[in-house]
Amino acid sequence: MSAATSGPEVLAELARILAELTGDSAVLDAPPGTPLLRDGIGLNSVGGALLLVRVQARFGVDVADEDLNLDSLATIGTLAAFVADRMTGR
Amino acid sequence: MIKCLIWDLDNTLFTGVYLEAPDQRPGADPGRSAVLAELAGRGILQAIASKNPPEAAQYASELTGHEFASVQCGWGAKSAAVSAVLDDLGLVPDEVAFVDDEAMERAQVAFALPDVLVLAPEDLADAAQWPQFSPPVVTAEARRRGELYAERRVRRDEAAAFGGSADEFLRYSGTQVRIALADLADLARLHELPVRTHQFNSTGVPVAAKTFAELFSSAGHQVITVRLSDKFGDDGLVGGCVIGTADRSWRVQLLMMSCRALGRGVIGGLLAWLCLAARQAGASQVVVACVINRRNVPLRIALTSAGFRADADLAADQPPWARADDQGRIAAYVIGLDQPRPDLPDWVTPA
Repeated sequence: MSAATSGPEVLAELARILAELTGDSAVLDAPPGTPLLRDGIGLNSVGGALLLVRVQARFGVDVADEDLNLDSLATIGTLAAFVADRMTGR
Repeated sequence: MIKCLIWDLDNTLFTGVYLEAPDQRPGADPGRSAVLAELAGRGILQAIASKNPPEAAQYASELTGHEFASVQCGWGAKSAAVSAVLDDLGLVPDEVAFVDDEAMERAQVAFALPDVLVLAPEDLADAAQWPQFSPPVVTAEARRRGELYAERRVRRDEAAAFGGSADEFLRYSGTQVRIALADLADLARLHELPVRTHQFNSTGVPVAAKTFAELFSSAGHQVITVRLSDKFGDDGLVGGCVIGTADRSWRVQLLMMSCRALGRGVIGGLLAWLCLAARQAGASQVVVACVINRRNVPLRIALTSAGFRADADLAADQPPWARADDQGRIAAYVIGLDQPRPDLPDWVTPA
């Protein structure tokens, strides 16, 4: 994985993963402030866990291990920022 | 431990090919049907992944007298059908076995999903005797598991057609979450749950029945059971927890819930009840000691969604029965009771 992957690229890739997970292509156009759980994208706790498995496979960032409170799961944007930050930090 | 066996139909569960002769359908292989019945009796789910129309699965149910927990019929890759069963039942690859007479299909599944146990039909009778097909405890809840998943299909279809919110569907379904102090009759199921639950399990460690029995009579502990039912069926005992209540900080030493109860108001209801009961008992906070592993991320999401926060400065002391050497680090998730907490949902009947 290139360390040069930028925030916007992570965001776009994350939206693609979410569209795949939910089977809903409308997710591709969801604004970064969209919550991932419940009322937003509508992931339940198992869906959230699956998302983190995909994120680790795609970006090599183990969010579940590094973010004990899983605050990064708040919105699409917070998760993208967390991932992008960890990728440039290595 | 294998939780689900996924069957191919043509020349595997059937003695021939379903679509070959519409006026003369194949029978069920007697030896393999016997294995199916035996494993179902041990609480292992049975599912279908077949390149056939859905009627073939219906026919398989009639032949074997068994309700399959998940049915995936279609002409895509077998690995995709196996993945669909995993999604459907909330299982991970190393919890399922797949049996198919075609070597190509077995190879395709083994390549795409290396953790799935892939079997040829002729190995099935032997495999049924392997330890991973022999759960140490089999309770009534476990034996009914196949039926419970069939009820779940009906519930899910109604939920998909339902117009209102998730909470409204729980009320419409007559959801009842009953929280109670455990007694001796619950011992076998309590002992079984830590072995069978992974995604909602705070320790990941098996607990001896003797340990639960000792905790029942310990003055400083409460062992709590959670039962779930609705108009679609009775799931029985789906979860529980062990709480150390000796001081003003309630310590949850074990929290576990069957993934079957996911999305049915159980884990949120239990966490809300914990806060309420602790507050009524004069406690100032509730601490859940939770091991940080790959499998229980759903539990951690449920905890943080309910307002619990990991506190690095708080020691997550666990009693010896809730620890294992290879367990990994344990974090303390804490919630203060000085501010109002979410109300107990109206579908929860507290202890």
